[in-house]
Amino acid sequence: MKKRPILALLVLAAAASFVSCGRSTPVLNIYTWAEYFKPDIIRRFERENGCRVVIDTFDSNEAMYAKLKAGASGYDLLTPSSYMVSLMSSQEMLQPLDHGLLPNLTHVDPEYLKIAIDKTMHHSVPYMIVNTGLAYLKSKVADFVPSWSMFDRADLKGRMTLLNDMRETIGAGLKSLGYSLNSTDPRELRQAKEVVLRWRAHIAKFENEQYKTGIASGEFLLVHSYSGDILQVQRENPDVAFAIPREGTAISVDDLVIPKTSGEVRLAHAFINFLHDPRTAAENTVFLSYLCPNKEGYALLPAELRDNPAVFMNPELRARSEIFADLGADNALYVKIWDEIKSAK
Amino acid sequence: MKRSRLPLLVTIAVLFFFYLPIIILVVNSFNASRFGTGWQGFSMRWYARLLHEPEIWRAARNSLVIALGATALSVVFGTTAAFALHRFARSRLQRFHYGLVYTPLVVPEILMGISLLMAFAAAGVRLGLGTIFLAHVTFCVSFVAMTVLARLQDFDFAVIEAAQDLGAGWGTTLRKVFLPLIAPGILAGALLAFTLSIDDFVITFFVAGPGSTTLPIRIYSMIKYGSPPLINALSTILLTVTFTAVAISQRISRSKG
Repeated sequence: MKKRPILALLVLAAAASFVSCGRSTPVLNIYTWAEYFKPDIIRRFERENGCRVVIDTFDSNEAMYAKLKAGASGYDLLTPSSYMVSLMSSQEMLQPLDHGLLPNLTHVDPEYLKIAIDKTMHHSVPYMIVNTGLAYLKSKVADFVPSWSMFDRADLKGRMTLLNDMRETIGAGLKSLGYSLNSTDPRELRQAKEVVLRWRAHIAKFENEQYKTGIASGEFLLVHSYSGDILQVQRENPDVAFAIPREGTAISVDDLVIPKTSGEVRLAHAFINFLHDPRTAAENTVFLSYLCPNKEGYALLPAELRDNPAVFMNPELRARSEIFADLGADNALYVKIWDEIKSAK
Repeated sequence: MKRSRLPLLVTIAVLFFFYLPIIILVVNSFNASRFGTGWQGFSMRWYARLLHEPEIWRAARNSLVIALGATALSVVFGTTAAFALHRFARSRLQRFHYGLVYTPLVVPEILMGISLLMAFAAAGVRLGLGTIFLAHVTFCVSFVAMTVLARLQDFDFAVIEAAQDLGAGWGTTLRKVFLPLIAPGILAGALLAFTLSIDDFVITFFVAGPGSTTLPIRIYSMIKYGSPPLINALSTILLTVTFTAVAISQRISRSKG
């Protein structure tokens, strides 16, 4: 008899999980990075559309892809990076967008669409942009030049980091030579490998996360880094500056896409449209320290963001910069070189 | 004769490595600095911000509901399985059964996660708390069964026969004799199941559906794109709760003994 209350509890717990899905208000299920939307904005959308928004989070494009590929469904809106968007699109996992439901797309910055992979926004709309660049301590780094060649400076030896990311770091090597960071030419890649190996002798380590702490505390003097991260560090240590190398750099974009399996396609369109309302776009930009490419929204940003080179790249530099493309089978070329770089003595 | 200092030193070193990270985490949760770069003053701001993070609380609630439910069900299944395995240990069927119960302990988590997801997808089951619950019961049952089985090894079935000789029915024997005697085994199994369920990441990641993010999934995605100090604050609260729960349960079991 002892077990009866336990069983009752179980049935209740199981039932609760089903009942919560059965309500009549529509539910928009978003699968995204942690803290990727300002909470007030979500609440406003729920009020205006009489719906409920449920947010679940993933920590890498690959994990999200693996899960959806294995058959997980129920999500209405995703925010993968562009290279993952092209892969998913080539596998026919994404819904083509209905531009009739997206009047706010006229606000999307055409300058960014020029370098985008999905230029016509056929199945994806850019949401947030991050630039890769160089962060350094103004008081400690003498004669800083905005160039990838900074990693050749012997006086900074052991006080610099490169990103622990195959595409970013080999891409930096390619850019420093004036090549495309989506290059698949074996000769160019070989040269880039030599450059990165030379840099490797000068850096403390390959680092993706701890560089924020390192540059804030002065342990590192120059770090290969993402603009959004550095903006957060700058609030704590004003001596940190950020610059885009003059040879051009990598621009990363996370896109808004609707998976084919979505059950709330209209609501998902409404959400995309809502995010590109200039006011929402500006609020999200301030909240995230990344840039939502919404031309009308730029005017609503505070001056400190508008004048910050970490947020707005000058047009000349942008023309020299690129978005990572999905390389398909050629990715193996990079994996091989990256292994050689990491294992070299 | 002088006793060697070595055991003492090793003990101190081991304890140091056990607890130093936890102490650093607790101290940092009160650090005003976002990046933990040196001490920037005592602050409760991360705890205050936690109050305004409904997503985190939703994840915590999901984790708790699943852990409690999965523990309850796997204790029932695990104990009955252990009983059968022990009582009929020599039958060929039970030896096969033993193999089946034992296998989930050695199957890699990622394999279990993917295969469960594929099974759910093939069956057209809607992913959510229900599927996480089923997945957790699946691996918890084995752990409970093995723990209870160990306790049954030195259980004397003559006691049960004695109870029946003295006129106790099945219900009374179960309640007054069998369960109290193997209770420590069941409790240990339940604690193990609860801990495994509440911090499972790999399997949960695959079988989770919309609206069923658990705390480990949430924390993992926050490490990369959220605020680390929030995680410190959250972990400190979790630690406090766990230590209190363990302390209380130890006191209860001591007062009974």
